[in-house]
Formats: sequence, structure tokens, C-alpha cells
Amino acid sequence: MSAVVTEALTRSYPGKRSDATPFVALNHVDLRIEEGEVHGLLGPNGAGKTTLCRILSTVLCPTSGTARVFGHDVDIAPNEVRRIVGVVFGGERGLYGRLSSRQNLRFWAALYGLHGSALRARVDELLERTGLADRANDRVDTMSRGMKQRLHIARGLVADPPLLIFDEPTAGLDPISARDFRALVTDLRGNGHTIILATHDMTEAEALCDRVTFIDHGRVIATENTIGIRNLVARVDAVEARQVPPDTVVGLRGVPGVRAVEQAADGSIRVLTDSEATTRAVLTFLLEAGVSQLNTPGPTLADVYLSLIEDRGMAVR
Amino acid sequence: MTRQFWAAITLQLRLSAATPDSYLVCVTTPLLTTFIVTVDRWAGHQTQIGNAVVAPTLIALWMLALSVAGNAITEDRLIGTLEAQLGAPASLAVTLFGRMCSVSLIGLIAFAEAWTAVSLLGGTGWMPVPHPVVLICCLVTSSLAAAGTATLLSPLYVLLPSARVLQNTLSYPLYLLGGLAVPLTMFPWWLRTVTDLIFLTWSADLMRASLAPAAVTDAPWRLLAIVALGAAGFLIGTVLMRRMIGRACREGTVVLT
Repeated sequence: MSAVVTEALTRSYPGKRSDATPFVALNHVDLRIEEGEVHGLLGPNGAGKTTLCRILSTVLCPTSGTARVFGHDVDIAPNEVRRIVGVVFGGERGLYGRLSSRQNLRFWAALYGLHGSALRARVDELLERTGLADRANDRVDTMSRGMKQRLHIARGLVADPPLLIFDEPTAGLDPISARDFRALVTDLRGNGHTIILATHDMTEAEALCDRVTFIDHGRVIATENTIGIRNLVARVDAVEARQVPPDTVVGLRGVPGVRAVEQAADGSIRVLTDSEATTRAVLTFLLEAGVSQLNTPGPTLADVYLSLIEDRGMAVR
Repeated sequence: MTRQFWAAITLQLRLSAATPDSYLVCVTTPLLTTFIVTVDRWAGHQTQIGNAVVAPTLIALWMLALSVAGNAITEDRLIGTLEAQLGAPASLAVTLFGRMCSVSLIGLIAFAEAWTAVSLLGGTGWMPVPHPVVLICCLVTSSLAAAGTATLLSPLYVLLPSARVLQNTLSYPLYLLGGLAVPLTMFPWWLRTVTDLIFLTWSADLMRASLAPAAVTDAPWRLLAIVALGAAGFLIGTVLMRRMIGRACREGTVVLT
């Protein structure tokens, strides 16, 4: 059985003025996520990822279309869906700051029907698993953003639901915590959970997801497995080079067909090109500039992201 | 559902414990009691001694319930916990009712304070309670009724655009119509048909009766009236809550950003 199926799922909001055009947050989204899959939702801010997560967690109604979770329609049978979905929203919201981590988790566990020794054992296990055991009795509003994020994750896992939705789960986490989160997801996948991971972190998506869906302007642009999706963007290629003089870097930006020149902290550069011809031109340009440390790797997921999602800069819809 | 109810009681007790201003009403209750007793003495009689306990107790109960009812959903919405609660397989109305019950129980501290204040001001020992069983039953049912009625008001605050104005203006008319300031026998007959629909009316009358030496008549029926009015408030509140949640999910306003 598919864990999640959406058909022509649409969510729009009326314009602020009566004559304004409605804002379409999700536009006829068709998506199928299989049981046991880790599925990435990738897209810029305002693309519609969180809207999709909210509809699947029943706190937002679709305007039209359908969404089913393990066969239960989110609109018709929300209570059935709530029993089998755990949601982790990012940020500092969603917790009682005046209570401790343990008190928060006990409350949420009770809402999912846990009680007595089972509740206490589950809460203790999650505090341990998310590294919060030492701070279990501290007030949440005295904790760092990263700690709060861990607590969010613990709350999402409290009922051990078969479908877990993580919306920006590593926002605010330090690299070690982010690594621990990845280990946790791997562990959850091993236990048969289906996971939806909405993220901006391409490395995270590449490391964790079986398949990814790119969303932009409320539309699904592509859904593929994390390896095959590179084939969708054959026109994207990349050249990596080391010890490139600064004026050569400037010159590269002027080569026709160069999409971007990224500079890493170690001084190496990564040039994204739009065709094989451009790649050849870039290689020639670099060789003529005396650069000899060159490499032409295939596109990463981040490259695909940049290619599929229009470059909108800082703009958010 | 019972466990969820107890979890909500625990949640609100902990939230209240972390917010001392929740108990401000416990500071004002002895002052209000003193005010009523001293005005009564200045007027040259002691007819309102029972009322000096009844009025501050029920006012404290109502103020606490009203204050938490007015803020619970709005605060949950602001801090994002409403979204998480709606995503859980639990009734928001039951959670809210549990939270209101815990607040109402805290409100009962006001009775002990008012009773102690009247006793100390009287200077003749502890104020007698001729019908303690009726009094205890009245206090408990009044707490539950306050919680039920507050569950009705909570979604109303979200649904109505000028909810805060409603919250601020609702108190004094209710104190008057609930017979907290003066007995309802002083009101014209047509107004008393309205006051019978307010649980505070029944609570105030029965509490006064439990503190008077005369036998209390129809106590079970009067207690039943308090419970029934509280239950009606809770049921209407549950329906309103569903409407509020449905509207928020449709309009995408569960989360305030």
C-alpha cells in the first residue's frame, strides 16, 4: 500500500482584496510515496512544502483534490490520519516554554493515548534518544534552538507513528546534532517508518532520501530517485578546479553558458555549465590560464536543485 | 479521553505554577471580602456576612475561568501548540475543559481565603457553616460549571472579532445577574427568567443557603441545575470548537504568523 497519495491536490488562499487573484500555494499536486520510503520535498521558501506537510497532518484543508495517508482521506477521516502521522515542524514554536522537556513530552504522549508506565518509559526513551536526558527537567524556554529542535523531534516520535513528517528538522541544529538526526532517520527507516523530509539541505536529502520531489510555485517539477534525478538535467554539468587565480575566476563568469561559479572555503571553485560545449569552453579557458588541477564530476543534487528551480534570489512568493 | 482530561489538568496546573500572576485573584479576594464586610458594618447591619464569602469566591472562580478561557486558544495559536494539538488524535474541547477545571479548582482557594477573612474580621471565631456537605457539593459543581461555561467562551473569543471587549465587559453584568452583588429577589420578575440560565445564580443562592442556619430546600435539584447549565455550556462549547477548528483549517489560520 502507498503511504501517501495525493491527486490534483490544490490549496489556494483568497487575495487580500476582494478583486485580487487567489494565491495558489499548491497547484494540482500528484504524488505517491510508498510505504517504508524516505521521501524528500525540496524547494525554495514559499514553494509549497510546508503547505503539503500541513495538509497531510490534517491541520489545513485542501481547496480541491485529495490526499490519502495509508488509504485514509485527510479531509474525510482526519482522526484516523492523526493516529498514524507524527509531525515535526521546525523552529521554536509548538512547545510550552514554561514547562520542561519531560513535562512537554508527557502531555503530548497523553494526547496520543499513552499512559502510566508505558508513557513514562516512552518519554524517558525519547529523551535519551534525542540527547535531552540531561536537560529533561529544564524549562524549554531556557534551552537553545538546537535543543528545542531535538524536543520537536522527540514529540513527533512520541506515538511511534508509521508516517513521520519532518519539516526543516535540522534547522538550528549544529553539525553533530544534524549528523545524529541523520542516524536517527536511518534507524527509523530500518524500523519500517515512512518518512517525508522537507528540507533545503541538499546534502541531507542526498544522504537520506530514496526519492525526492522538487516543488516550486506550488507545482511538482520532478519526482525521481536521488540517483536517477541527475539524468533529468543532462544540460547541467560542472567543472571543479583548484588554485585558480582570482582574475581567472572573474573571467569565468563571463564565459557564455556558465550558470554559476561557486567558491569553496579551501579555495577551490565549482563552475556550473548549461551544456557540454560550455564545459569544453570552460576547460579550455582554465587550461589557457595555466590551471592544471581540474575535474569534471557529475551534477550533485544541489546542482539539480539550482537547475530545476528558477533562480529567484531572495524573493519569496 | 479520561487520561487526556487528566493530562490537561496537569498541564494547566504546571503552566499556572510557572506563572504566578495566575494567582493574582487569590490576593484580591481577601481585599474584596474586607470591602464587603466593612461597607456592611458602616451601613449599620450585618446582613451580608454570608455574601462576603459567596461573592468573592464566585467572582474569583469566574475571573480565573474567564481569563484562562480567553487566553488559552489564542496563546496556543501564537506559540504554535494549537497546530500540534490539532494534529493529535485528541479532542481539543476535552483538553480545554481539563485545563479550565484545574483553574476552577485553584479558584476554590478563594473560598478558604474569604471564609478566613470574614472570620477574622468578625472577631467571634470561625464563621459557622451550618450545611457543610451542601457547601462542598456546591463549590465542586460550581467549579465544574465554571469550567464548562469557560469551554463555551473560549472558541467564542476566537470566532468573534472583538473578543477582548466581550471578555472585559462580560464580568460585571454576570456578577449582577448571577446574584453575586445582591440577591435576585431584588430584581424585577422578568429579569429573573434570564438569570435562571446563568449557573452563577444557582451557585450563589445555594452557597448562601448553605451558610445560613435555615434548612436548605431542594439542594439536589439546585445542584443538578448547576451541573446541567455547566454541561450545556460544555456541549455548546464543543460544537463551537468544531466550527472554529473547521474554519481555521479551511482558512489556513490555525497558525498565527
